[in-house]
Amino acid sequence: MKRSTLFSMLVAVVICTAPLLVAAAKVGQAAPDFTATASNGKTFRLSDNRGKYVVLEWHNNGCPYVGKHYKSGNMQRLQKQWTGQSVVWFTIISSAPGNQGYVTASEENEYLTKMHAAPTAALLDTSGEIGHLYDAKTSPQMVVINPEGIVIYDGAIDDKPTTDLSDITGATNYVTLALEQAMTGKLVQTPATRPYGCSVKYSGSTH
Amino acid sequence: MSGHKSSRGFSAALAFLAALLPSAAGARASGSPIPHGTLELIAENQWVTPGHEFFLGLHFQLEKGWHIYWVNPGDSGEPPRVKWQLPPDLSPGVIEWPAPQRLGTSSVVDFGYQDAVTLIVPVHAETSLAAEPSAHLGAEIKVLVCREMCIPGKTQLSLTLPIKSQPPAPDVRTRELFAAARKDLPRPAPQVWKFSVDDARDSFVFAANVAVQIKQAIFFPLVVAQIDNAAPQVLHPLPSGFRLTLRKSDRLLKPIDRLQGVLVLSSNGAYLIDVPVSKRGAQTNNSSSGIPEIQSSKEVSQQ
Repeated sequence: MKRSTLFSMLVAVVICTAPLLVAAAKVGQAAPDFTATASNGKTFRLSDNRGKYVVLEWHNNGCPYVGKHYKSGNMQRLQKQWTGQSVVWFTIISSAPGNQGYVTASEENEYLTKMHAAPTAALLDTSGEIGHLYDAKTSPQMVVINPEGIVIYDGAIDDKPTTDLSDITGATNYVTLALEQAMTGKLVQTPATRPYGCSVKYSGSTH
Repeated sequence: MSGHKSSRGFSAALAFLAALLPSAAGARASGSPIPHGTLELIAENQWVTPGHEFFLGLHFQLEKGWHIYWVNPGDSGEPPRVKWQLPPDLSPGVIEWPAPQRLGTSSVVDFGYQDAVTLIVPVHAETSLAAEPSAHLGAEIKVLVCREMCIPGKTQLSLTLPIKSQPPAPDVRTRELFAAARKDLPRPAPQVWKFSVDDARDSFVFAANVAVQIKQAIFFPLVVAQIDNAAPQVLHPLPSGFRLTLRKSDRLLKPIDRLQGVLVLSSNGAYLIDVPVSKRGAQTNNSSSGIPEIQSSKEVSQQ
């Protein structure tokens, strides 16, 4: 009797928690693998990049927080700086069709050219699958994955959660910090922060 | 002077009066525009009395469907920020935040306000203020207004209040707004209420003994990235209260000493919560060990 009660409790616990435990990337754990089509038509798989650092950048071109980092050239500067050091940089767009930030491949290519953006690729995550896999909440949310495929940073781009361009100067950039510390064999001091920005415009996220 | 002319003057006067009449707040200056709404700086009293504390309010009116954010905005967004421009003899306190609402979707949950909200700010007037005839109060506000999209706004507000040595007198034009705002302010919990928070691996188990059974409660964490905002808050009614399971944020990598926030009981108002976190559950890895140890509500204090 007791045993069966305990068993049903265990079953209940497993049933209750299972959906929450599925995927959702966590700092210190393996980065969930994904395959996606980029705006340039190529297909990218995360696990093909083992041996390299990978940065994931959640993007929405209509979000003022994203605008802050693109109008100032901050994001492009980071993309150029780190892809120049063999880091793979994926810009990920998880906006569903009809929602803010959704773009077709050609619209994204135009944007990348106009903004002089330089990610390795811009991945079109129209279904929101990658976004949900990483539990991406905001644009610009940033994730850093080490060459072993472990998430070493997840959170905000920097410590100034505002839309003011003037706040970029003097901000501590968490992505740069994580990459610099990891590349020099140090422990990442700030592995997780609250990502700031606009909510990711997943399918079904409009009222 | 012809009769015609004077009747025109009379109707103009009537029209002017009619424009003033429709609302009790008609005599107040209309708010400054912000994205999809207006914002007005209001004062609770008719004048500033040196040596006394008085209250200012930031009154937001938002178009339907648009919202602004609580001090902890939740998963996205940011709270309004104020840069005061006050005479040196006036010192502003911190914003008194009314209890927020849960906003957003199943995967991204924010904390904020829709329709209208007044953020109250206490201001202390030094006795040295007496030499001036009036005080010019200014504030630069930055506010993010969101619906499906977010628009940042910035506005400059100002208000001039006479300085009088008479005791403070309330301003009838703003009385209702301040009264409404105070009704929504979280208050300290009654001394007899007991709270505890148990660290149970993936969750915090918040237990409340409030003398009656509670079937609905929402907890709003004051500090970001402690609890998973989007996770359902699972409530177990207890004979004299409830137990609320709050899933931890994936970004909470270190144990916390205290859980602070606002507890909203649907029937019963909003309360300030500041409870030490018991590590007992974490040590035994047993999150279902019944009702956790109860702490004194003396631990409940102002934020």
